[in-house]
Amino acid sequence: MKSKISALVDGELERHEAVAPLDALRTDGEIRDAWRSYHLIGDAMRDSCVLSDGFAGRVAARLAGEPTVMAPLRLDPAPERPRWQLLSAAASVAAVAMVSSVWFMLQDSAGPAPQVAQAPQRALPAKAAEIAQAHELAPPAAQVPPPDSANDYLYAHQGYSPRNSLQGVAPYVRTVSGQTRPGK
Amino acid sequence: MMLRALGIALLVCSGLAQAQTSPEAMALLRRIYQATEKLSYTGTFVYQQGERTETSRITRVTGRGGDVERVETLDGMPREIVRTRDSVRCYLPESQTVKVERRTEQRAFPAMLPERITDLARHYSISRGEPMRIAGYDCEAVVLTPKDELRYGYKLWADANTGMLLKARTFNSKGETVEQFSFAQLTIGNVPRDRVKTRHATQSWRIEDAAVTPADLAQAGWTVNGALPGFRKIIEVTRRLGEARPVGQMVYSDGLAAVSVFIEPMAGRAEAVRPGLSSLGAFHIYTREVANHIVTVVGEAPAASVQRIANTVEFRRPQ
Repeated sequence: MKSKISALVDGELERHEAVAPLDALRTDGEIRDAWRSYHLIGDAMRDSCVLSDGFAGRVAARLAGEPTVMAPLRLDPAPERPRWQLLSAAASVAAVAMVSSVWFMLQDSAGPAPQVAQAPQRALPAKAAEIAQAHELAPPAAQVPPPDSANDYLYAHQGYSPRNSLQGVAPYVRTVSGQTRPGK
Repeated sequence: MMLRALGIALLVCSGLAQAQTSPEAMALLRRIYQATEKLSYTGTFVYQQGERTETSRITRVTGRGGDVERVETLDGMPREIVRTRDSVRCYLPESQTVKVERRTEQRAFPAMLPERITDLARHYSISRGEPMRIAGYDCEAVVLTPKDELRYGYKLWADANTGMLLKARTFNSKGETVEQFSFAQLTIGNVPRDRVKTRHATQSWRIEDAAVTPADLAQAGWTVNGALPGFRKIIEVTRRLGEARPVGQMVYSDGLAAVSVFIEPMAGRAEAVRPGLSSLGAFHIYTREVANHIVTVVGEAPAASVQRIANTVEFRRPQ
């Protein structure tokens, strides 16, 4: 299937050949990862400049500055953004940029369509734009231990959580373990 | 060929939601909300988050005398919460403290209205899951799969007869469980009213009153410009945190996930401020400084969502 995906990325499949790989993309996370990887590879080979200047350097600097890979205080097995998500975020940005550039090309070949061509981002469906936003690389967040008064915050938040109407008072047990004296 | 490439790219971008919302699943979800509101029950449940497992006893009594709920942790730090129609009290025997939060006239403890369940279907696909037997009850399942990566997914199992929620799992975009509640033992109906009374004598305890008051933080110069799609502000108050720290609190919710924005002056704060992100299972806490204030955003949502809300908090001196 991955070879099919590769061919799909390169635009080498006929319409009927593309059905199965497209279905796989919808349902299979591994295939989606492959899709992203092939785009990254393609971008690298073409040396496309779809990201802002110094992007890779900044990502590398942030990865190097990540102090938390072996943080012993971590309570959850996967609480922080793993590195691959940075890559997938980059891939998504690349994918959206690709959509935009493809759109431009379509407009060019279809003749003048000034309103749309001036605002290519709006031409994207809302959902795609939202996802692109969600993947925007926010400034790096240092991983820190919870504030000493984390339980005060959690408790104050809990009173307004819609989870209360789903499971009563049960969600109130969610506090930071090890903080034996909240409020102190 | 270009058109095809465009189509493919869009398909991939919108390929997050696989399951389709079904009326049966919506009906089951509605039954769960109604059961939570109407049933009396007592039981023991296990809360799991990462490596941590904690058992608690929960009781709810409805009917004459008002609805009262009580939960008491059996593992770890002892604490007990009693919620009535107009207050929530948190008893902390180790520090001999009672935290009291009284209901304000506003929807302080918002109930889930039926129309909001329909709203949920805009951001989650609501579908049926595999039935399962839990704590002796034959359960039906409903799965809420988020349509974007801004929120977590939820899988809920409820007693087929009564609609009582027996198990609730929160999962991330990779399908991994971030936290889970599951009953180990449960009795529905006929609960004596003394079971919801606190077992602590608190005459000599310190009382921390949250003193919740409706507020207009925007008028004070604070804005949150980039609330996430589907999230809307459900409440805006000032309150006390812990002993004597007055803070502003705004809560944003999509009906299921919720994020609180706390704003407090930096001056006079004893605790050192560590800007950054901490993760506690389904919760993320993001702290940053804005205009000599500490902004702390606490959310039952993916880290990126919590951080995104936090980063749009702005202060502009009122005119």
